[in-house]
Amino acid sequence: MVVGTAKNVGKTTAFNALRAVARRRGVAVAVTSIGRDGEPVDALDAEPKPRVRLAPGTIVALPAGLLPRSPALEILGTGAAGALGVTVFARAVLPTACEIAGPPTARAMRATIERLRTLAEGPVLVDGAIDRVAALAGGADAVILAAGAASGATPARVAAVAAGAVARLGLPGRDPARERGRVIRVDGALDARDAEALLAEARGATVVVADPTRVALRGALLAALCEAVDLRCERPLRVVACTTSPVGRETVLDPRALVRAVAAATRLPTFDVVADLAA
Amino acid sequence: MNADAATAERIGLDWLRAAVAPAGAFGRLHDERRPPYGPGDEAAAHAEIAGVLALAARLDRDAVAALRAGLRAVPEPGPILVRARAGDPLDDADFYELTRLVDALDALARAWDAAGGPRGEAPPRLDALRDVLAPGRTPGGFYLADSFAPGLRAARAAFAAAEADVEARREAIAARVRDALGIDPAGDEFAVLRDAYGGEPPPGVNVLRETATYRVMTIVAPSAARDAAFATLAEEEERARRALAERVAALAPQIAAATSALGALDRRLARVAFALRWGGCVPAFDADALAFEDATFAPLAEALAAHGRRYTPLALELRGAAVLTGPNMGGKSAALATAGFLCACAALGVPPPARAAALPLPREIAWIGGEGREARASLLSSYAAEVVRARDVLAGASRDTLVLVDEFARTTGPREGRALLVALVEALAARGAHALVATHFDGVAAAAGVRALRIAGLRGRVLAPARDGDLDAALDAVNAAMDYRIVDEAGTPADSDALELARLLDLQDDVVRRASALFSS
Repeated sequence: MVVGTAKNVGKTTAFNALRAVARRRGVAVAVTSIGRDGEPVDALDAEPKPRVRLAPGTIVALPAGLLPRSPALEILGTGAAGALGVTVFARAVLPTACEIAGPPTARAMRATIERLRTLAEGPVLVDGAIDRVAALAGGADAVILAAGAASGATPARVAAVAAGAVARLGLPGRDPARERGRVIRVDGALDARDAEALLAEARGATVVVADPTRVALRGALLAALCEAVDLRCERPLRVVACTTSPVGRETVLDPRALVRAVAAATRLPTFDVVADLAA
Repeated sequence: MNADAATAERIGLDWLRAAVAPAGAFGRLHDERRPPYGPGDEAAAHAEIAGVLALAARLDRDAVAALRAGLRAVPEPGPILVRARAGDPLDDADFYELTRLVDALDALARAWDAAGGPRGEAPPRLDALRDVLAPGRTPGGFYLADSFAPGLRAARAAFAAAEADVEARREAIAARVRDALGIDPAGDEFAVLRDAYGGEPPPGVNVLRETATYRVMTIVAPSAARDAAFATLAEEEERARRALAERVAALAPQIAAATSALGALDRRLARVAFALRWGGCVPAFDADALAFEDATFAPLAEALAAHGRRYTPLALELRGAAVLTGPNMGGKSAALATAGFLCACAALGVPPPARAAALPLPREIAWIGGEGREARASLLSSYAAEVVRARDVLAGASRDTLVLVDEFARTTGPREGRALLVALVEALAARGAHALVATHFDGVAAAAGVRALRIAGLRGRVLAPARDGDLDAALDAVNAAMDYRIVDEAGTPADSDALELARLLDLQDDVVRRASALFSS
C-alpha cells in the first residue's frame, strides 16, 4: 500500500510506477484505492491527477459507479457498498483507463484486499491513505510512504515529516520477552493527554496500542514518549520504502537533494520514480 | 390481528415475529404484504399451518438451515428490473448480479432436492434468463461477450490492434528516451534533471513542466485510429448492453414471479424452522373456544433454557371469560401470555407450539395490567393507566377480541379494586369477548358469573428456604414443588402461598413468623 504524508505528494504516481514495473516484469497485479484516484483532476482541490491505466489481466476493485463502460471489464464479484455503489471486482480484458476507489472503512478495505488476493496471481497494490493504513496492520504487507514538496518548503522539512510518519507507522510489535515492567494497554487513540500521563507516571513501562494508526502524536512529544516508555503495538505495519515528489503547489525542490534527505532521515530506501533517482 | 406494543411484548409477539422472520429480502417483502389472519381467514390459516407441518415432517433442521442460507444469498434483482423495464441502460455489474441470481436459484433447487423437498414445491429456476446470459458467463463471473452484438468482435479486434500500435510507438519513443537521456520512463510522466540532459526532448516527447533543476516530460503518441477504434468499440458495447437489457426486460415478469415464489418459500421455511424447534399442531379453528394441551410459551421456554431451566407445558380450556387465581410464582401471567401467544401464532400462520389446540382468530388481542412503564411515560399513576387502558379495550371489545387481564386494580384498595374487577369481567363477558383474568382477589369469578380456574399450586410445605440469598436454589425448589396445572377452582378459594414463598425466598424469619401468626388469627 502506498500512503502519503500529505495530499499531492506523488502517492498515485508511485502507485502507477509500481504497476508499470510489475507489468514490465510480466507480473499480473490487483489494484484498488482507498481514496478516489485516477480521475483527471483531484475531486477536492482540482489539482491534476494521474489516470490509472489498467493493462489486460489487471484485477481491480472499484465502486460500481466508477466502472468504465468501455472497454468492458470482466466482472468477477461484488462486495461492500459505499457512496459510489457496491465494490465491483473486475479484470481488464483490453487496455483501459479509469478512476478507482475503494470502500470507505478499514474493515471493508481489509475484506477487499483479501478478496483481491484470491482473485489475483500477483501482488495487490493499494493507492492508500495514511489514516486507513490500519487495513494492513498485523499482516506481512508492505507500506510505501510517499513524501513530497507539498508537505514542506525544504528538503529537510519534507524529510522530517517523512521521518515522523515512518517512526509512527513503524511502531514495533509486542515482544513478550522484552516486557519486564508494567504493561499498559491503551484502548483507542493514544493522544497528547495520554502521553502526558504516561510521561508522568509510567516511565519504563511497556505501552501497547492496537496498531500504529492509534498513535495520535508527532514530533517532540512522540520522541519523548518513545524515550520514556517502550511503545509497542499489537498489530504492526511494515514500512519498506519511501518515494519523493519534488513538486509542490508553491514549492519546487531539488529532486536529488530531496531523495537524499528523505533517505537519510527515514533510513529507508527512497526513490524518485519520475526522475529515476534512488538513495 | 391487532395488538398494541405493550400487548405484543407481553404475549411474545415481537419475539415470534423475530423467530419467524424470513431469511432473505424476498421473504421480508412477502411477509410485509401478508397481513395476519383474522376472523374469516380460518381456512387459509389452517392450510398454511398444515402445509408448514407437512414440510417440517419431510425436512430436517440442517436441511432447512441450508435452504435458508441459500435464500439469504439470493441477490435482489428488483432495482435492475425496474431500470431494464424503463429502458435505462444496464451495467455489466447488473448482468453479473443477474447471473448470481440464476446461480443462487439453481443452488437452492439442488439443496431442495438433496433435502428431499417435495418436487411440486421446489424453488423456482430461471432457465430463460440463464440462457440469455449464457454467452457472457465466464469461469469467474460475467463478461459482455462478443456474441451479444454482431459488430462487437470486430470492434474489439480493431481496438486491440490500435492499442498495440500505440503501445509499440510509445515503446519506440521510450527506447529513444533511454538511449538519449539515460532515463527509463516507466510511468506516464518522467523528470529529466537539467544538469544531466539540457538538450531538446527526443521526437514524441513533450515537456509538461519546467523548473530550475529539471523538466517533467511525457511521451505523446496520438492516434486518430485508436480514438476511432475506441469510439466504435464504445458504441458496439452499448449496443450489446441495450440488446441484453431488452431481453432481460422481456423476462421481467418471469423473474418477478420467481422472486415472489421465493418470498413465499422463505416465509414457509421460516415457519418450518420454528416448528422443528418448538413442535406444533394444526389448530381447530373455533371462534368460541380457546383451548390447548401441552402448550409452550416459547419466549419464556427459551429464556428458561438459557438459564438451564425447563418450561412446564400448560393446558387450558376456555369459552368466553374465566378468572384464574393461584399462588404467586405459579404461572398465572405465563398462562395469559401462552393464550395470547398461541393465538398470535395461528394469526401469523405459525404452528402453535402445543400438542393440540382449538383457537379463535381474534381481530384484536389486548393485555390489561402492569401498565407501570406506560404510566411513567404518560405521567399517569399505575392505577390511572390501568383504568384508561381498560376503558379503551372495553370500547372495542367483541366476540373477536381476546382480552388478557393481569391483576387489574391491584394497586388500589382491595375492596374497591375487587368490585371494579368483577364489573370489568362482567362487561367483557357481556360483550362476548374471550377473556382470561388473573387475580389474587377472592370470589371474582363467582361474583361475575364466569368460570373459575386456578393454578394447582405448591404440592407441599417441605421446602427449605434459600440460603445466603441463593435465589437459583430457591427457584429450583419452587419449580420442583409447584404444580403449574390449570384446574377448575372448586370450593374455597386457593391460597396465594405468599407466606410460604416468602419463607422460601429467605425473608427474615421474624417477619415471616409474625405474618403467619397474623394470617392465622
